[in-house]
Amino acid sequence: MRLEKCWFCSSTIYPGHGIQFVRNDAKIFRFCRSKCHKNFKMKRNPRKVKWTKAYRRLHGKDMTQDSTFEFERKRNRPQRYDRINTEKVLQAIPKISKVKATRQKDHITKRLSVGRVNRRTEDRRELEQSISLVKAPSVLKEDATLTLPKQKVTVSYAQTENTPMEE
Amino acid sequence: MAARFLSKSSSGSSLLGALGTSLLGVGSVARQTTSNLTYSDIFFQQQRTFIQMGTKLKVVDNSGAKRVMCIQALKSKKGAKLGDIIIGSVKEAQPRGKVKKGDVVYGVVVRAAMQRGRCDGSHVRFDDNAVVLVNKQGEPIGTRVFGPVPHELRKKKHVKILALAEHIA
Repeated sequence: MRLEKCWFCSSTIYPGHGIQFVRNDAKIFRFCRSKCHKNFKMKRNPRKVKWTKAYRRLHGKDMTQDSTFEFERKRNRPQRYDRINTEKVLQAIPKISKVKATRQKDHITKRLSVGRVNRRTEDRRELEQSISLVKAPSVLKEDATLTLPKQKVTVSYAQTENTPMEE
Repeated sequence: MAARFLSKSSSGSSLLGALGTSLLGVGSVARQTTSNLTYSDIFFQQQRTFIQMGTKLKVVDNSGAKRVMCIQALKSKKGAKLGDIIIGSVKEAQPRGKVKKGDVVYGVVVRAAMQRGRCDGSHVRFDDNAVVLVNKQGEPIGTRVFGPVPHELRKKKHVKILALAEHIA
């Protein structure tokens, strides 16, 4: 029994699921469900379809290089059954998948943290500039506690001279 | 023959339904009959069916025949699937080959566009319908087989074809 990867979305295909399509040049395409199969028949490129793993990896949304991926590499050489080895592997699998999941989550949080910082600075700027929408400026002047602290801003343009009006 | 006639008709569901029941007889309807599909959707979402009387198949060995039309699917009322034996009439043949045009031959279906379930629960389907000509005892007439073949043939005892194959799917 071997767990394959779907050609279109790269999810694992468990036994009893999916369809295998053999092309006449003997290339085998495995699909996890009919959604992926139908997209393939429509000749869609998985690298352009947003919900596939291929797109996400290509556009840096998901982690691409990590040592935890080495464990899942396809090995074509059959191994002699070794009971101790098998038990160790079965114990290691949940640990490895937990490490992989935390690393993937960190990758995504790191990617999204830039947006969080940007949103905070935007909010602060809006608060300083548009506080008059909340309360009128005259009210703010009367009550000292409502105003924001005054900031000195240096202006660097040349001072225009007021020409006296000609009578 | 029936499938091609159906493909030329438009996407009116009642028209397809009528054609299906009248022309195919025992076989199942070869097209989906939904009304809100575009032309391209219908083209890509064919319902693949059995190999039955009138199905043209490609011959993938070097016996001399090029195309064979199925005249009888042995062992099933509905039609032949992957790995079954059919009786066919040679429609197109190479000039110097072991079989001539018009011969009635036996063939083993090695590639079928209809998916076939495997014992582990998965399904396989190929790109086209292809056949390897055999004699009454089940031995292949030709000496080479082209393209991929399924390993369903092993269970059906067509070991010689598997030995000649260049790729086993």
